[in-house]
Amino acid sequence: MIVVKWFFLILPVVSTLNALAENTPPPANTETRPALQLLDGKQALAKMALAMRTMNYQGTVAFLRDGKLEPMKYSHAANNGHEQEHLLSLNSPLREVVRETGKVSCLYKATQKLVVDHRPFERSFLIELPTDINQLDAVYEIKLAGEESIAMLPAYVVTIKPKDDLRYARKVWLSQQWYLPLKVVVYDQDEEVLEELMFTELEVKDALPFVGLKPANANAALSSENNEEPVSQQMPFVLSVLPKGFKEVFFTRKPMHDLEQPVDHLLLSDGLASVSVYMEHKNAAQPLVNLDSNRVQAIDAVNFFSHTLGDFELTVMGEVPSETIRLIADSVKLRDATR
Amino acid sequence: MNEEMNPKISQFLDNELDYDEALDLLQKLRANPELTNKLNRYEAISHALKTDQFLNLSTDFSEKVSQQLQHEPVYLLPRKKPANRRFPYQWLALAASVAVVSVLAVRSLPHLGGNDKVPATSLQVAQQQTPKTLPNSPVDTPKTESEIPLNARINDYLQAHNGSVYANNPNLKSMARVTTYNQK
Repeated sequence: MIVVKWFFLILPVVSTLNALAENTPPPANTETRPALQLLDGKQALAKMALAMRTMNYQGTVAFLRDGKLEPMKYSHAANNGHEQEHLLSLNSPLREVVRETGKVSCLYKATQKLVVDHRPFERSFLIELPTDINQLDAVYEIKLAGEESIAMLPAYVVTIKPKDDLRYARKVWLSQQWYLPLKVVVYDQDEEVLEELMFTELEVKDALPFVGLKPANANAALSSENNEEPVSQQMPFVLSVLPKGFKEVFFTRKPMHDLEQPVDHLLLSDGLASVSVYMEHKNAAQPLVNLDSNRVQAIDAVNFFSHTLGDFELTVMGEVPSETIRLIADSVKLRDATR
Repeated sequence: MNEEMNPKISQFLDNELDYDEALDLLQKLRANPELTNKLNRYEAISHALKTDQFLNLSTDFSEKVSQQLQHEPVYLLPRKKPANRRFPYQWLALAASVAVVSVLAVRSLPHLGGNDKVPATSLQVAQQQTPKTLPNSPVDTPKTESEIPLNARINDYLQAHNGSVYANNPNLKSMARVTTYNQK
């Protein structure tokens, strides 16, 4: 009798579950479904970082910033741990940019002028990711948000949402086939698009040539080399408080503005967003326009703030909200007040 | 009866009747065409006296207009939602006027003080600047003294901050577009 009771009790439950299962739509793409179940957001980003470093790929990428579109031919060559990124502008001013072994070189076609910047702390023109994706856990929430198509290629969508108001959100579309980034969007706190880049076409090759940037006329070339090797000197300032997740990445001291006077440059990063702190002696010939204006200013997606600190002028700059800029600027103290 | 109504009509036109009296008069006008005509005549006279302009309309002018309106076709169109009239327009107009006066007053203050060399704000500088290039840029454009400090420094800083400026900023000319806003 008890068995019969249990039977009639369980029967409607089983029937309901069965009906629900039948009404559930089948997965749109059965080939990609298993991968989606295996991946989470961080796994996807880790695979993307690895693919970006090790694969040979090329295509056309559109950089969209503040309503301006800049289409460029992009290629990435990798061979035995050696990498090179190559960008070629499609519109004026025509220029070629190469990132290789910690430096970025830009050759302006019209004047054959070559500019070289040492940038050992950067890895890609497309998106900067930390070596260990887990580093982002403290300040970002990373989720696999679904599947879409970009440039007619099926893609996973990964959302990177900040856990506080001190950094911007990002969304990354990466190829399901190669795990390469197809589209990257940076959103401000109002969820408005700040920056966007997107491949309109992308192909993967077995090998791609490494490009050498040389001015056509070596005598006419006005090569400008900004040696930005890391310096061992102690920083003249300290940051009493850093926003959560930000770490000191790089410090250098070098002349700027075509002057002999050196400028101290400290780069901070939370793994995705970076902030630069610049300090130099007051320069009556070139005063900062916004000095002591008590306001954060913006150039496209980059916010910056300047003020005086003793005999020095301080500028904090980065692709972070204005609150973060002020927080960092206010935390900078001179290490030696008599300096 | 109609003679008694004449002063009422006159008072009505001068807006001297209270609500109940005006309502009573309008109801009587509705029932008495002769009184309606009288109202129209008084209104025309009043208008002519006040404005020195007189249009000699026939007594059945309003009747003809009413008949014409009755012959107009009826369109059953969806009615637009009434606009949100939470904020009276006159207050908005007053606020706008105060804002304009404030801006004009602030702009005139330096001149009143005799100090013509007031440092321009960053926003003003940005608006006045013509596109310019980096010190390392291949494009040479004439520079004015006022625009050199901001762009030379900030452009140098931007270039040192992120190598991607070579990619997504064609020649950093756009860097002149600086915006300023108050800290929250």
